[in-house]
Amino acid sequence: MISRNRILQVVLPLLRLAVGGIFVYAAWTKLRDPWTLFAISIDAYHVLPQWAVLMVARTLPWLELALGLVLISGFLRRLSTAGASALLTLFFALMVRAYVRGETIDCGCFGPGEAISPLTLLRDGALWGGAVFMAVMAWRRRAGQVGNLAHVAQQISETVETAPPRE
Amino acid sequence: MKLSLIFLLALAGLAAPPELDKAKAFGNPSAPLRIELFSDFQCPSCRQLHMQILPSLMHDYVLSGKAYLVYKEFPLSMHSHAKEAAAYACAAARVGKYEQVADALFQAQPTWSVNGQVFQAVATALTPAEQKKVQALAMDPTVMAEVQQDMQEGQMERVNQTPTMIIIRGGKKYPIGGTLAYDLLRRFLDDLSK
Repeated sequence: MISRNRILQVVLPLLRLAVGGIFVYAAWTKLRDPWTLFAISIDAYHVLPQWAVLMVARTLPWLELALGLVLISGFLRRLSTAGASALLTLFFALMVRAYVRGETIDCGCFGPGEAISPLTLLRDGALWGGAVFMAVMAWRRRAGQVGNLAHVAQQISETVETAPPRE
Repeated sequence: MKLSLIFLLALAGLAAPPELDKAKAFGNPSAPLRIELFSDFQCPSCRQLHMQILPSLMHDYVLSGKAYLVYKEFPLSMHSHAKEAAAYACAAARVGKYEQVADALFQAQPTWSVNGQVFQAVATALTPAEQKKVQALAMDPTVMAEVQQDMQEGQMERVNQTPTMIIIRGGKKYPIGGTLAYDLLRRFLDDLSK
């Protein structure tokens, strides 16, 4: 029987690679076109003033690219998974808001021409769920490691206390 | 069934010669940018785009020879009078009055979309003689086929909302759906023109 830890050891890196890969792809679809095209997609959400729209359109694809590469590399795992979760939470919330308000706008997720639909919500929701799961596991593992270290330290101190004093 | 549909659409393509397409197009055909605008006369966002964005777009890009604008009909099934309006507009294109009728239809959209009196709006842009012609032409199967062909083109371009502008530069297509701020569209078109 395969243990839960064993499954996680396989699933988590695969999930990290998948989410990282999707971030890199999303960045590429935006960077290959003039950045003003992405600005139009952001503006359609009607949440930012135009100066902020322009700033986000210029920087977000690069942030996505960096985050994707860090996720794939496996470095800064807690930070990168938390960053991906935060970003996807924001994206997903904005998409749900637009959909609930009945706005027929471009998702802007992977370049232009993809309106927000139940399918895009399902896809981004799954992505968001995956990222949050990775972040939770990364932080829990860290907490577990800290817990284990504390346990080992306590055992050492107990051993030292109970050992007979040396002459 | 599918084959017969394809055959009918191909026939519609043959029935609508290129000069008819020109009646719904504006600017210099050899301009570096080509803008295909898929629109629905009954859609409020299309009205907004037509009345707020299009005049500036026409002035800054189409009339100055930077862009070639082609109107395409994309009446949505959820709009009960949209197809009829599209047929009248295409009929008006055959008497050289597409732009005027499009203006009239969008202007009076809040009225005819409720009472269904589409032709009343169309008539305001035409002389009595043109009205008769357009009324007759709107019943012409080739006009309906033209509307159908535009819709088919939109489906092939994966148009999933109206209005959708497909901006074409050097063979590359950039679809932009929904209404947008003109300033951002201008920046994008300027980026593409570089």
